[in-house]
Amino acid sequence: MIDIILQAFASIVLDPVTLGLMLVGTLAGILAGAIPGFTIAMGVILTLPFTFGMTAIQGLATMLGVFVGGFSGGLMSCMLTGIPGTPSSVATTFDGFPLVRSGRPGLALGLGLWSSFFGGMISAVILVALAPQLAFLGLEFGPWDYFSLIIFALTITVSLSGGNITKGLIAGLLGLFAATVGEDEINGVARFTFGFDEFKQGFAFLPVLIGLFAFSQLLTDVEDDKRAKSPLMSQSGSVVKVEHRQAILIILKRWVNLFRSSFIGIFTGILPAAGGSISNILAYDQAKKASPNRSNFGKGEYDGVIAPEAANNATAGGALIMMMALGIPGDIVTAVMLGALMIHNIIPGPTFIQDEPLLAYGVFIAFFVAHFFMVGLQAFSLRIFLLVTKIPMYVLASVILAYCAIGVFALHNVVFDIWVMFFFGVIGYFMKKLGFPLAPMILGVVLGKLAELNLARASGISDDLLLFITRPWSLFFLLMAVISVIFPFYQEARKDSLFSKLYVPMSMIVLSLPLFLMGSPVRMIVATILVLTGVYFLYKRTSSLKTT
Amino acid sequence: MSINKDTIVAIFLLLFCGIMINSSFDIEDPGYQGMKASFWPTIVLCLLSIMSLVMLVKSMMASTDSNLNSENTNSQNVFLKFKNASICFLMFILFLGFLDYLGMLIGGVLFVFGLLTLLGGFEIKKIINHLIISIITIGIMWSIFTFGLKVILPEGEILRIW
Repeated sequence: MIDIILQAFASIVLDPVTLGLMLVGTLAGILAGAIPGFTIAMGVILTLPFTFGMTAIQGLATMLGVFVGGFSGGLMSCMLTGIPGTPSSVATTFDGFPLVRSGRPGLALGLGLWSSFFGGMISAVILVALAPQLAFLGLEFGPWDYFSLIIFALTITVSLSGGNITKGLIAGLLGLFAATVGEDEINGVARFTFGFDEFKQGFAFLPVLIGLFAFSQLLTDVEDDKRAKSPLMSQSGSVVKVEHRQAILIILKRWVNLFRSSFIGIFTGILPAAGGSISNILAYDQAKKASPNRSNFGKGEYDGVIAPEAANNATAGGALIMMMALGIPGDIVTAVMLGALMIHNIIPGPTFIQDEPLLAYGVFIAFFVAHFFMVGLQAFSLRIFLLVTKIPMYVLASVILAYCAIGVFALHNVVFDIWVMFFFGVIGYFMKKLGFPLAPMILGVVLGKLAELNLARASGISDDLLLFITRPWSLFFLLMAVISVIFPFYQEARKDSLFSKLYVPMSMIVLSLPLFLMGSPVRMIVATILVLTGVYFLYKRTSSLKTT
Repeated sequence: MSINKDTIVAIFLLLFCGIMINSSFDIEDPGYQGMKASFWPTIVLCLLSIMSLVMLVKSMMASTDSNLNSENTNSQNVFLKFKNASICFLMFILFLGFLDYLGMLIGGVLFVFGLLTLLGGFEIKKIINHLIISIITIGIMWSIFTFGLKVILPEGEILRIW
């Protein structure tokens, strides 16, 4: 184990090329996170073409740099201009911007920066401790369990639907369908090629992804003539000196808030589809509720800056836990990273840490290192950020569109891929206009082939369909899928309704069943705790119903 | 009962599913044991058809989409709304169509310059700026991919002959 960790450490820290790539990646991430209209996902997606010529670890390390940098980049724009660069820094604006306006911009930036750093470090430790343990479970998985796991991951589409479940599901299914075009991986039979030889290879993941996400976003950004021609931000901040020492002291004095917010971030990251955009608001809310200075929130309270920034960076570690341990993406960024692994012929899955230990531990170390780069680059990136904000959107969009074409071509050296990107870009643009969320479609494209492959393997071994519900892990994931599908209805249900009161305890009780079936002592204990807690909640909630 | 944008989209999706399901019957069966190649796509398409049907019913039960009847739908507004996106589409198609002749370097520069000028305006100062931006940015990207990442980008017939 230690020799693998040392090798992974050497492949990151002792390799100047990898370090250099991470440095550039982190800088690019900070800028992508800082510029309103650009997202972290877009930054990671646009980094992907550069990773073809790199080794798998260099590629992943670079993307991790963008990922980590992106979370902290958002704090620059939200503090200096009051406009959140990314949805994951919305809550930082509540107290960060007033703190800057009260004449403490250096301290505000320092608090945000170091909270991000500490939050990331806490989640990195949890990632290293938890992911390998969870990954051992992967060794117990058969194709039935894999398939059910992917079905569970696909139910994330419901949560990603943004209020319109029907359209979200349609988008997810369109993604699954797009993944079936071309020769199937089991029999090599051509499907939906309509006589075109180019279609036989299917639609490569990257052109589809860049088309759906980046291309369509850029078209939306230049849609409005006036907005496209004006600089990115009307308000512009000024270069300030970050007060590092004082910020660190303030954060360490508020360590309870830091840890609570970080754990909220990690937990939210582990949950499929619940990313930094949720965690920063949740952490802010909890910090406000727990604070004795509640009335100061919204006026530049330190805790109001620490909580969202620690949480959003910790979310990255949580999302990586799911990706590393079970091989399923929790959000678009981890979906892109899984896509990057596939480009390097590494099949992600629950045995990933066992199969590719060097790469896995390399990811852990890169995640740590990226946080140091993030702190080191903040002052420099602040200057670049202020320059970038003066560029009109149409200039950025035109240049990036050309870059997308070059990047996509680099994947297989075929012009057909650029046409695919264009085609999916047009589809993505109109889907957005018609109110279809794009994230489910991307998940469908990523997971479609894996789902089919495991279903084929399962049916090849046995034609007994009951195995999907008699195997404990498969049953567990199918139940999780059902719970996940129902979750949005629970969110919308009235708090005093019977459904709302029964949802959580019944979910706990139901989930204990497959854990009991697994038989191992630890899981039996967990199952018993789940049942007892579920029954307790059930009793409390039903008795409160009776009294009303 | 009403017809709105979602109704039209749902009908289009149902047609799409119909064509694809019909096409799935042409998927060859090599006769190997196990799951047929058409099985998974058929399941996906059936689910997609069901969801499209749900969308159709929901859209018909919903109130009339005001957008369809409002001034937003008049042709001038639609043109203005999609003008910049249409320019991007058109320029991209031209860029791809002429890629074999112009190559990535010249084609890329012309694409960025054309797009910048069409979106940004035709004043002399701007045109000069656009030209500089397009040459520098595409030149840098082309160099990174060609020399840094060793990707052989399309050279184009013009440069080849030259």
